[in-house]
Amino acid sequence: MGLSSAATTTTPGEPLKFCIFDLRRGQHEGEELEKILFFFPADLPFPAQLSVVGLSEGLITFTRIFSPEAACEVIEAEMHSHVFFEAEPDIWMVMVVAKSKETEAIWRIEALRSVLKEIHSLFVMFHGSIRMLLDKEPGGGLTRSHLYTFIMDYLSDFLVGNKFLLPNFRDSLKERGTVQMLTVGREAAIEVQSLVGTLDSCMGNALGYSVILFQDLLVSTTLSPDDTVNLFSYSTLRLTPRILSSGGSTWSYLRKGSSSHAESALDRLHGFQDSSSARGDNYQVLRPLQHGKWSKGKDGFLVTDIWGVEVGNLVPTTPTIWLQQIEHKMYLCAYQYKSVTILLLIPVTSMLNGEEGISMLKQQLLENASSKIHKVEEKLAKGWGGENAYHVKGYRYLLVDGDNNISRASPSGKVTTLAKESLLALNKVREDVDLERSRTKGDDLEICIRAKNNSWVIARATRGKQLYIVLEKANETLLYASEAVEKFSDRYCDGAFSLD
Amino acid sequence: MFGSTSSSQPGFGGSGALSHAYIQYPPLKCRSDGSRCLFYDDGNKLLISPTTDQVVSWKISPFSSDVAPTTDTISEGPILSVRYSLDSKLIAVQRSNHEVQFWVRETGETFSQKSKSESDSILGFFWTDCAVCDIVFVKTSGLDLYTYMPELKSLELVETKKMNVSWYIYTHESRLVLLASGMQCKSFTGYQLSAAGVIRLPRFEMAMAKLDANSKPVLAAEDVHIVTVYGRIYCLQVDRVAMLLHSYRFYRDAVIQQGSLPIYSSKIAVSVVDNVLLIHQVDAKVILLYDIFADSRTPVSAPLPLLIRGSPSRTNAQSSETTLTNNATANLYGDDWIFLVPDLVCDVSNGFLWKIHLDLEAISASNSEVPAVLEFLQRRKLEAKKAKHLCLELARSVIIERRPLPMVFWAIDVLLKSFAYSLKTGSYLKGGKPEKPTVSGAPENSESGKSVKNESASGVESRTVHNSGFSTSDSEDNNTNVRNAKAKNININTNSSSENIEEASRIGDHSVNQPLNANVSEQQESQVTSAAIPPDELYSFVFASVEEEMIADASYLFAIIVELIRSASLEKIKLPPNIYVLAVRLLARNERYAELGPFIMNKIIEPSKEVALQLLETGHQNIQTRKLGLDMMRQLMLHHDYIVLLVQDGCYLETLRFARKYKVHTVRPSLFLEAAYASNDPQHLAAVLRFFRDFIPGFATTSEHSTFVRALADMTPSVAA
Repeated sequence: MGLSSAATTTTPGEPLKFCIFDLRRGQHEGEELEKILFFFPADLPFPAQLSVVGLSEGLITFTRIFSPEAACEVIEAEMHSHVFFEAEPDIWMVMVVAKSKETEAIWRIEALRSVLKEIHSLFVMFHGSIRMLLDKEPGGGLTRSHLYTFIMDYLSDFLVGNKFLLPNFRDSLKERGTVQMLTVGREAAIEVQSLVGTLDSCMGNALGYSVILFQDLLVSTTLSPDDTVNLFSYSTLRLTPRILSSGGSTWSYLRKGSSSHAESALDRLHGFQDSSSARGDNYQVLRPLQHGKWSKGKDGFLVTDIWGVEVGNLVPTTPTIWLQQIEHKMYLCAYQYKSVTILLLIPVTSMLNGEEGISMLKQQLLENASSKIHKVEEKLAKGWGGENAYHVKGYRYLLVDGDNNISRASPSGKVTTLAKESLLALNKVREDVDLERSRTKGDDLEICIRAKNNSWVIARATRGKQLYIVLEKANETLLYASEAVEKFSDRYCDGAFSLD
Repeated sequence: MFGSTSSSQPGFGGSGALSHAYIQYPPLKCRSDGSRCLFYDDGNKLLISPTTDQVVSWKISPFSSDVAPTTDTISEGPILSVRYSLDSKLIAVQRSNHEVQFWVRETGETFSQKSKSESDSILGFFWTDCAVCDIVFVKTSGLDLYTYMPELKSLELVETKKMNVSWYIYTHESRLVLLASGMQCKSFTGYQLSAAGVIRLPRFEMAMAKLDANSKPVLAAEDVHIVTVYGRIYCLQVDRVAMLLHSYRFYRDAVIQQGSLPIYSSKIAVSVVDNVLLIHQVDAKVILLYDIFADSRTPVSAPLPLLIRGSPSRTNAQSSETTLTNNATANLYGDDWIFLVPDLVCDVSNGFLWKIHLDLEAISASNSEVPAVLEFLQRRKLEAKKAKHLCLELARSVIIERRPLPMVFWAIDVLLKSFAYSLKTGSYLKGGKPEKPTVSGAPENSESGKSVKNESASGVESRTVHNSGFSTSDSEDNNTNVRNAKAKNININTNSSSENIEEASRIGDHSVNQPLNANVSEQQESQVTSAAIPPDELYSFVFASVEEEMIADASYLFAIIVELIRSASLEKIKLPPNIYVLAVRLLARNERYAELGPFIMNKIIEPSKEVALQLLETGHQNIQTRKLGLDMMRQLMLHHDYIVLLVQDGCYLETLRFARKYKVHTVRPSLFLEAAYASNDPQHLAAVLRFFRDFIPGFATTSEHSTFVRALADMTPSVAA
């Protein structure tokens, strides 16, 4: 009883609603439910669900009259914000967040939208596009069960206690949908590239791709930037040594890894059952984001039974994913040595003998590349400055290279030392920059404000790059703040932001 | 001596014969009438043929077939051994087991040095450039070290080293004398008489297998060889019972056995050509080559016979020379062939002296393990130019043949390591002097006519005497079966080509101009004395030339370049920008633009103007790449180019700020004004005009100003309308 009462107390004031719907479905009266592909919370009565979807659809239809290309982005109501994202043509994701009196619930719309984007691109990476799934099975049952399990698994990462903690103003010095790179010296970089070459040759004529990570940081990739971001996000969520050893070091550039406790809480909250019996449908549902499913094998390769187990010999099936850029299904083969994680992607079509080919490839990797991998690991570990390696004294910053989807920020441990006022001011500045950039499409821009607590919040954008800096305990004058930025730009950004 | 080589016809089929080492026709004919035997004076590199009252000597370094002999007159008498002093002022002749006689060449005065007791016989003697003495007598009772007193015309005993000596060997190259003693003559004491002083090596025993428990084989002098390779001194010892060639390396304070090589003939001769060890399996008439730079005990190549190159063909064998040659060739590895350390062979019966050469082409062609061949070639100094050429060819062909990448990587690594090494030792930058081998670990003290230059240039090669000289018989009963003898014994009479003859005569002409005791080394004629390949040549001869052929396989070539960059970085060699430019081109060809970023940002591809321009060119296909190029320009402080390019991109306001900040005055205002005008935006044009009015004094009065002010006025209404 106590448990269920806890559930009932949170549900009425549910701060988060999240739906995905397809405008091409359910065109006839009485079939409106057909539109809905996903709704959270799932136990919300259908009329309430339909009202959210109906309002959203109405606004989309209305705004399309004026802006057919980019319809509605956000509705700011008195109590709620509605964040829109058109994931695929006519397939919309809408997130409704409550504006609460609690001051923590201050969001930046773009940050929320980037969550939607991430959900969608990860989903597409594992399942292919939603439209494709719908075409495959027009009933929509397959799509719904896939979306449901996938998104619930994804959201479980945001679950803290009984509440979802969405990225708020405290995450202003983070940029979702970008990768964090490890800075390496020339010598180490060359070793890494040499390893990339070796990996390439291991894959032979298969024309595969490789991604190398060190801890939670990207070292090298041969994928396109978009695919790199997706794979990087997935790796930092489920594959890195920190995650696998679960409960090791707690620092992260993205977010705190959630424990199995969170998942059980989620299951409790939403009556979520195991995939086989999920929502009573008989679909074989892949749950790539399920926690605790990856483990490191004896040979150093990461294994999971998410993709099933080969009948007969209990060998887990090699995962397969979709790449956006080339629209090929790829085998995903992950190898880990100490802090280094290596992901190999091999086109399914080029592996004629399937699993056998993969195990041959693994053998080759062990034979030809392991010494190189060890060397690279050693080099990178030696050159790595640790968790606070990218901390710059006196600065709290975020540097985003939008062209290459790369960002770098002050370590989260250092960001927490900032006063709330500074962070709120930064959140506001970022919101303004987002707005300005969406209007002018990447022109140069410079904002410098002084917050209530006398901290400086500075934003600069130039040629696809953005720099946000918060300076607390800084001098009074604007000149000082501007010089501080200049210094930072010269020292850490190759002078990209210091044109004046 | 054979003046008419040009008249002899080239033979046929020479190229078909297989061999890794050859001797070049014509030989030096070194027998004067009435001579009794031949002596080799390795201190002065002289071949000496005494007659009853004369000493006829030929300078054999540099080796030439038509060098004129020098004659000195001495008194009649038996001659056991002859050696010139290192300054060539004296001739020492061993007359008997108890007497050595000296001639002062200038004055003709003589004096003698005799052993004191009858039982104490002189085994031999040699001149030395040791600091403490000038000449050393090796006697059955030990060593006597003497200095020569020119005023007194006599020798003064400096030091005596007492011990029983059965026989000894000495090479001037190593300055090392090995004294054998004991029943089996396998117990050795060594002295090195270098300029640094006399170093006594620890006494050591050589290993000898026994046929049975009772037999005690006695080690003979001709079974022990001192060889000097890469400045290290080794001793090779033939173990006839075990059919092994044991090797020992000499250190200052230790003698360490290094392992054994198998032998296929009971009679073994050893030559060293360009630091390569040639083991002549005399019975089998084949040569095995070893390069003992690394600790590898595997031969460089398969056993193949020695070849005579450039000998006149037998078909038109009318002249006496040809007959002689035929005699010589028929006599290959005959009983009276004597091998002179390091690389000479003397056919005593014909009076021919041959010099052994390596056929680098044949060696490199016979081994498919390219990196190993490259390592071998990179170490060659004598024919550095040819070795270098072969290396470039090999490097090119491994890439074109698309050999497996690890092999290509290894090959590249070998070349760069070798270049780095040559940089470190300075042999490359000096423009051609090969590294000075540290012979015996002691600097050369050359007070004599022989100069240091010769020493450093010719280095290790041809400095040694096979101590057994001509007094020791080469012939040895062979009671061992030789396996390969018949199979390998191919006819080598017809091996010649016009090219070889030309080469031979060229060498001949060259040395004619040299004075008799010229101190010019053989290498002087070749400009290149190190086979090391600088990266720019690697680029122009290998990568630039294969690029066209590898278009279809750019990623293969790119992987090689990455490895090249890696090797270069490990060896701290700077690569020329065109290699980086090529890397950018190759990535762009495969449209791997995303990967280009890290290469540039991590400076794997070192920034340079060339690279920046290539990035900008590639940037036509990919805007990110163009940005990389622009950023590189800016970081390289190529402000003028940067500004011009930025204006092309239409970013003139940014550019103006930049120009002002970095005080770039070389760009004309009209460039900006025209660009702003072309943009058709009056705001921009007005801003640019304002900029120049504010920051260039007197700009408002120029014609440019008025032109564009008018243009601005024309533009404004059109926009308003």
